[in-house]
Amino acid sequence: MPNEYQLMKDGALCQDEWTYSDDETALPDAPTIISLTRLKAEAESLRARNAKLGVQLLADGNGKTKLGEDVAELEPYLDMLSLVSIAFPTYRNGRGFSAARVLREQFNFEGELRASGEVLHDQWAMMRRCGITAFELAPSVSLETFTAAMGELSNAYQPAADDQRGALWQRHK
Amino acid sequence: MAQHSSKGARFQAVTANRLSDGEVVYLTADNQWAETFPAADIADGPEAGDALMARALPADFELHVLEPYLFEVLQDGTDYKPASVREIIRAAGPTVRLDLGKQADAKRES
Amino acid sequence: MYRYDEFDHQLVGDRVKQFRGQVERRVSGELTEDAFKPLRLMNGVYLQLHAYMLRVAIPYGTLSSKQLRMQAHIARKYDRGYGHFTTRQNIQFNWPALDKIPDLLEELATVEMHAIQTSGNCIRNVTSDQYAAAIDGEVEDPRIISEIIRQWSTFHPEFTYLPRKFKIAVTGHDNDRAAIKLHDIGIVIKQNELGDVGYEIHVGGGQGRTPFIAKKMADFVPKAQLLAYLEAVMRVYNMLGRRDNSYKARIKIMVHETGEVEMRRLIEAEFAKIDASQMLAVPQAEIDRISAYFASPEFETLPATSPALDAAKTQDADFARWVRANVVAHKQDGYAIVNISLKPIGGVPGDATDVQMEAVADLAERYSFDEIRVTHEQNLVLPHIRLDDLKTVYDALNAHELATANLGLISDTIACPGLDYCNLANARSIPLAQEISERFADLDRQYDIGELKIKISGCINACGHHHVGHIGILGVDKKGTEFYQISLGGSADENASIGTITGRAFTEETIVDAIETVVTTYTDMRQTDERFIDTFRRVGLDPFKERLYAE
Repeated sequence: MPNEYQLMKDGALCQDEWTYSDDETALPDAPTIISLTRLKAEAESLRARNAKLGVQLLADGNGKTKLGEDVAELEPYLDMLSLVSIAFPTYRNGRGFSAARVLREQFNFEGELRASGEVLHDQWAMMRRCGITAFELAPSVSLETFTAAMGELSNAYQPAADDQRGALWQRHK
Repeated sequence: MAQHSSKGARFQAVTANRLSDGEVVYLTADNQWAETFPAADIADGPEAGDALMARALPADFELHVLEPYLFEVLQDGTDYKPASVREIIRAAGPTVRLDLGKQADAKRES
Repeated sequence: MYRYDEFDHQLVGDRVKQFRGQVERRVSGELTEDAFKPLRLMNGVYLQLHAYMLRVAIPYGTLSSKQLRMQAHIARKYDRGYGHFTTRQNIQFNWPALDKIPDLLEELATVEMHAIQTSGNCIRNVTSDQYAAAIDGEVEDPRIISEIIRQWSTFHPEFTYLPRKFKIAVTGHDNDRAAIKLHDIGIVIKQNELGDVGYEIHVGGGQGRTPFIAKKMADFVPKAQLLAYLEAVMRVYNMLGRRDNSYKARIKIMVHETGEVEMRRLIEAEFAKIDASQMLAVPQAEIDRISAYFASPEFETLPATSPALDAAKTQDADFARWVRANVVAHKQDGYAIVNISLKPIGGVPGDATDVQMEAVADLAERYSFDEIRVTHEQNLVLPHIRLDDLKTVYDALNAHELATANLGLISDTIACPGLDYCNLANARSIPLAQEISERFADLDRQYDIGELKIKISGCINACGHHHVGHIGILGVDKKGTEFYQISLGGSADENASIGTITGRAFTEETIVDAIETVVTTYTDMRQTDERFIDTFRRVGLDPFKERLYAE
């Protein structure tokens, strides 16, 4: 995603050590995020790489397919990956929420999960509940706005990928 | 956005709903939003329609109204009236509650 | 009835505060309409033809007197003195001002109600059987699991931006009054051979542009695993449901395109993964806590018959007719279930004034253990009335024009708001319902016709359930003029079916005559005691078609 963004990670604004690489250019010897297509095509040589590797999962088909990429395709490569960037093509497309939970809860992915693309203010807290810890935000968003949005709902009813257990369980600790 | 004017529509006006309370409003000749249809500015011909629509969309229009659009009106003697049942109902109020909406305001004022 | 604890209060309070902030940011210009629209929709705020509309959730259609009085108060203070009960057991207000809605929601929260998830592509208000805990033959009160589903689905972080909206209905009875086969997920509470209670799950029903009856996906999901199963269905849908075309985005289309067998395989594979963690098994202590709120009222021990009732029926023929039409047998001797028709002849289906709501609230408080139910057929129910009190209740209802004796009859029409209010409508629905009820106003004629459900939608979204009307009417727009299409043979009960379109549409002037033709065709052809739907199923569409389109 070459769009301009600021990175909000673990609740703080920070310098992004990652860059996005396209499918043709030689990869830098520094942390970089590639497409799933390239990951699958070059998996063998990528294993030999020293610098950290990330992949971007496209939640929509970009006009080519109906659905976009399947998170299950990442499973064989997870040991090579330090980051998965889940692309939200529009705020309406919530497919990435499921991808995030599957990565955290079923694949036990412990690397960075970040949200890229179009994300609404009131989706940040829900994304965090699904296991997303880093957000590519518009440069206009202040830390104050972000922190306030994260705290708008003080509790949850159901468990997800975070440490909130949910009221249905919490009432009987 | 649904189409509210037919292709061959000659006369058109612009309507929207007011941000604060959703009231149906019409763009007037002096670029205000009025609550009654007779106050609406009427465009004659497609180009005039486009020009009218452009006037409904100044940079800050969203502070006042939402979803402005052009709709077809018909000449009715010297007056105009909305062409579709939908716009007739928007201009008057629910046909099943004549005590509510603009039709009721008009009755109170007369 | 369920009562909020500190968690519920806090979450609803947080949400009101959050929405107040969002409205302020919209009014100040900080938020564009594009950014604000999804936020207001998630809080039940629509823009309709004349004004904003607020949809308030009535979970599983159960209200206390205090809650119904609050609706009356809101109607008076924030609206124009009335509310509209919907086919989703909710209530809608047609005229609230945007800048006052946060205050309205704050007042609503004081009676433990909200408008959360009454719109948007999320899990909507859970609906259920209006006779829950009052009717004989129920496996279990469906409101217990409905409340658990309500909590689990509220602010669900994964399922708030689904491909499309998602509706769940629950029944605990073999006679389906909740139209469960026309929901994205329909749940039937069942008891297996071992005596354990569990859930039969139907997936992929729905109306709209492409109606489908749900497919049975599971015969028996054990109690402790229900939320894991639901989460599996939701995740499969969220990952694989179509987002490229909003008309093909409901789970019914996915079930249809994927096929029932493959869909079941996908759900079961995901269910196995989710269930393995046991994360969604609700603790028994919490189930017990919620169940306790739905404990049976303390019914008196009464004889099965009431001499007072019998005497009143003899003296007052109108009362006797009302008892016959609107009163249903209760599971407890000496009690009855009272249906309050919101379909007076010539009235607006589902509308109730502030005064009427208060009258019903008073009656519920005095005579019905403080409970009111809302039905998906847009009527109200007093679920627990002593037979001895029926006449008193009837007289009070009658004084407020709430005693029309037409339950399930031709004038008990479902109608969506239609083009009189709705931004999406193509044609008006309410005037048609009014004209039909006036045409058939004679109650004796209605009784002679018998059970006949007319359902009217003002557009293909089918909020008026026209696909499942015995007679369905769909309003269509042709160049700004209203036309009406008839379908026959639909049904929303345990024998659910989708109606068949008769042929070309009728005009506003000819549609009521056409309905009369359908009715006389039926009365001419019926065999003894045969209901309309049974005659239709026996003779098919052709005889009706011939009469409708005869020159």
